[in-house]
Amino acid sequence: MMPDPSMSAWEPEIRPRQTLWQRLDHGARRLLPSVFIALIIIFFSAPLNIPGAAELLPAIVIATIFFWSFWRPTGMSGLAVFLLGLFMDLVGFTPLGVSAFILLLVHGVAFYARFGLMRLNFLLVWGVFALVASAACLLQWGLACLFRLDVLDIAPALFEALLTIGVYPPLSALFSWVLHRLDEKEDP
Amino acid sequence: MIPVSIQMRQALGKLVLPLLVLLSIGIVIAGQADRRLTDQARMVVADALAPLWGLMTSAQNRVQALSSNLREAGRMASENTRLQAENENLRRWYDVAVSLTRENDTLKTALHWIPEPTPAFVTGRVVADSGGIYARAVLLVAGTESGVHVGNVALAANGLAGRVTETGARSSRILLITDIASRLPVMLDASHATAIMGGDNTALPRLMYYAQDTRPIEGERVVTSDQAGAFPAGLPIGTVHYLHPGQPVVVPFAQLDHLTLLRVFDFGQALIDPPDAPGHVPLARPRKPLTLPLKTLLGQG
Repeated sequence: MMPDPSMSAWEPEIRPRQTLWQRLDHGARRLLPSVFIALIIIFFSAPLNIPGAAELLPAIVIATIFFWSFWRPTGMSGLAVFLLGLFMDLVGFTPLGVSAFILLLVHGVAFYARFGLMRLNFLLVWGVFALVASAACLLQWGLACLFRLDVLDIAPALFEALLTIGVYPPLSALFSWVLHRLDEKEDP
Repeated sequence: MIPVSIQMRQALGKLVLPLLVLLSIGIVIAGQADRRLTDQARMVVADALAPLWGLMTSAQNRVQALSSNLREAGRMASENTRLQAENENLRRWYDVAVSLTRENDTLKTALHWIPEPTPAFVTGRVVADSGGIYARAVLLVAGTESGVHVGNVALAANGLAGRVTETGARSSRILLITDIASRLPVMLDASHATAIMGGDNTALPRLMYYAQDTRPIEGERVVTSDQAGAFPAGLPIGTVHYLHPGQPVVVPFAQLDHLTLLRVFDFGQALIDPPDAPGHVPLARPRKPLTLPLKTLLGQG
């Protein structure tokens, strides 16, 4: 989209001032991953007859946050992760703040390691993600045990971890395609 | 935007994530300290999202109805003959039921039977599966506006489903009997022995603390017991099944993994207080049975 020449009154800023449409466009791009996760949370909270829907929801959320945090941190800021985690806790009736805590840790790892991760090929990134996801699922299990004051069955946590690891490649393929499309639109 | 230098902005940017992590830990602790506030927040969110979920489930139901209609059309003829045979059989049973009801009525009149109050109930649609991995609960579109209260009993079409734990204005959350926090006093129908049915997040809740001389029998019906005063006696729950020798579980009648409609009954259990017995010194507060099962639970564990 070409900037409107009448609007390019040079402010002390370096870039020309954005038109309303451009601003909306940028905002939508930034919010795209967060909105995607919010919709996924609402969708998976409805009683679907999908086996393993309870485990699939955190799997998709963790994979999505990991992917966007290291490829496009502007699309997945810490604040967005925090709010999404709180929303997930409120909707899912888990102890408030637990998901926010775990998702922030996943986001933090991906965010601080992103320059190292970008140089690796996909399989190695997947390996790192597998470690992060397993740690997140075990942490979730540990916190659930702590709040119940009881040792819960660890099988759901392991299933969730495997599902999270398994759901990453298709999701990352999808998001890579979305990123390419967005970049094509950005600079034709 | 507050004008700050680039270095300052970078430093602030680095601080955001640790601050948010600390804030989330703070929320966890605050949420544990003040359950009421978090429950209110949850129910506000659930109330707001309930219409959306209702829309999704109704769409899902419509699709399911369409596909089942298509499937049914194929085997309509065989289904028809089966139904006709079943109908004849049922007509005989209907006659039996009518005569039994009449006999029951005459016997009750002869005995000057005091009729039990019919409980008030509301029916709601299950719109969300608010359990997650480590809990089993559902969200119902019926709240305090429809007269649902905390502690009410939720029944599915053919058996007990759970109890209301939180209520919002238009929605309420029901803890299923399979949840790990669920502990119900139950009665074995054949022997009239009591036991505790404890959920463990699997589909089959376990039977615990039954008397060693009256063990549950495979296939025996399990109904609620009014021991702790939370449930009226005799609501059907399920049948006994042995997974392994010495490990009886209950197979619930209700299909708890895909609930669609639930009836929430207000049995008004809390209103029944035994009258004071003259000449007896009250040992403790009147509703003592509540503490007893807890004590046995702690003692055994």
